[in-house]
Amino acid sequence: MLVQFYNVSKIYPNGVKALDDVSIKINRGEFVFLMGHSGAGKSTFTKLLNREEIPSRGQIFINSHSIIRMKKSQIPIMRRSIGMIFQDFKLLENKTVFENVAFAMEVIGAKTKEIRPRVLDVLSMVGLIGKEKSFPGQLSGGEQQRIGIARALINRPVILIADEPTGNLDRETSIGIMDLLYDINRKGTTVIMATHALELVKVSRKRVIVLEKGKIISETNAGDLR
Amino acid sequence: MSFFYNLKYFSREAAVSMVRNRILTIATVTTIAICIFIVGLALLITLNANNFIDRLESDLEIVVFLDNSLLDSQIKDIQSQIGEMPGIQSIAFVSKDESLSKLQRNLNTNDLNSLIGENPLPNTFKIKAVDAHQVQDLAIAMSNISGIYKINYGQGFVEKMFQVTVWVKNLSIALIIVLAFGAVFLVATSIRLAVFSRRKEIYLMRLIGATNWFIRWPFFLEGISMGTVGSLFAVLLLNICYRSILNNIPDITLFTLVQNSAVLVPLFVSLLIIGIVLGIAGTFISLNRFLKA
Repeated sequence: MLVQFYNVSKIYPNGVKALDDVSIKINRGEFVFLMGHSGAGKSTFTKLLNREEIPSRGQIFINSHSIIRMKKSQIPIMRRSIGMIFQDFKLLENKTVFENVAFAMEVIGAKTKEIRPRVLDVLSMVGLIGKEKSFPGQLSGGEQQRIGIARALINRPVILIADEPTGNLDRETSIGIMDLLYDINRKGTTVIMATHALELVKVSRKRVIVLEKGKIISETNAGDLR
Repeated sequence: MSFFYNLKYFSREAAVSMVRNRILTIATVTTIAICIFIVGLALLITLNANNFIDRLESDLEIVVFLDNSLLDSQIKDIQSQIGEMPGIQSIAFVSKDESLSKLQRNLNTNDLNSLIGENPLPNTFKIKAVDAHQVQDLAIAMSNISGIYKINYGQGFVEKMFQVTVWVKNLSIALIIVLAFGAVFLVATSIRLAVFSRRKEIYLMRLIGATNWFIRWPFFLEGISMGTVGSLFAVLLLNICYRSILNNIPDITLFTLVQNSAVLVPLFVSLLIIGIVLGIAGTFISLNRFLKA
């Protein structure tokens, strides 16, 4: 068991109840879709998982360690095992493709001589070899998301959290990104993807968790979705 | 500590950030320079004002006029009585003859004697106190000694002068405190802008798993360098201005500027340190908001 949520509720200071008594288990190597309308609690779920937020009630375990009771100094270490990709890519516009990806290794204090080969390795995995010196603004949306994915993968995370990764991309490009994510999952990384792109989910035959108003209203396989 | 291992990375990040945000960097350095310049100016004015006051105070003396009928032995007796009082720095006897010849010199004449007959001036003691503030108390205590018919210590003037000097000192301390607060506020604002312009980078660093200290160091180096450069400018400018004032103002007998480098060098060095501390403090205040949780 890699990720466990036990009766997790999250109420924000402004009174909004984003998650309501959610319990969930995700196995190592799984690919899980989190579906729901905006405001259903998908983003809160991902924020709780990397401890950007802490739950109002309940417990969260990663690898059997409570991330709620975790010492403050341990949080950065825990986050290194989680890769994040975002709808708006969150790339640093003033850094090149290479620098954007290398950044994630530099900030955890990796050795300089290890960085270059690893970055090139990951860039080739996501299909961006030859674009290392470009700036994100010079590339298409799909290519920018590939930079985001490369950055998320560079530290060999156990879990990859994707928050609406195809939300800003056209259908064609989205399928390319999905193929890349499936590929990453096949190589052993657990992927948790929040989305409301039903057409992408339907063809996937992966596990789907549907959230509505902070509650899980169904857990099913994608093939069963209408 | 991985600090030294990563120092190259931290310095590079700080340098790159300062160059990329050069408008902000220049604004912050200028702010620090102006603040340090003003604080330095206030300190120099205070230093000179205090120096001036000290000199005024050290010029204060008590003049004791003796009865003309006293014998030499009685005069000696009074001298030793006064000399034994606590807080006396020096006591000098000025005989009536010395006083008269001094008066003649001042009046540019030699035959005052023939004009007034017998010397009417009294024998006097000129006394200096260790602490000028004790002059009044000492004078009162001396008035109990018999054989003294008058004591002069600048009554009225002394009290007023002390009132003024207390005001000048308090006012200058208040001014420096207000300026220092203003400087910290301005620097914190400038660096907050620098941090704010990089909030996405900080957010990403935290999500990726950088430790808070790893995130802080480049900003601290940035703050330290901006503080150093800013205060260096300020100190250089202050030094040039002060030297040119020193060289261009002719010696005014009453008011001379402090030019003792044993005083000025530590002052300039502390200004430099204040600038660096301002840079660090500003960074710290601004960063912590972004590193919560």
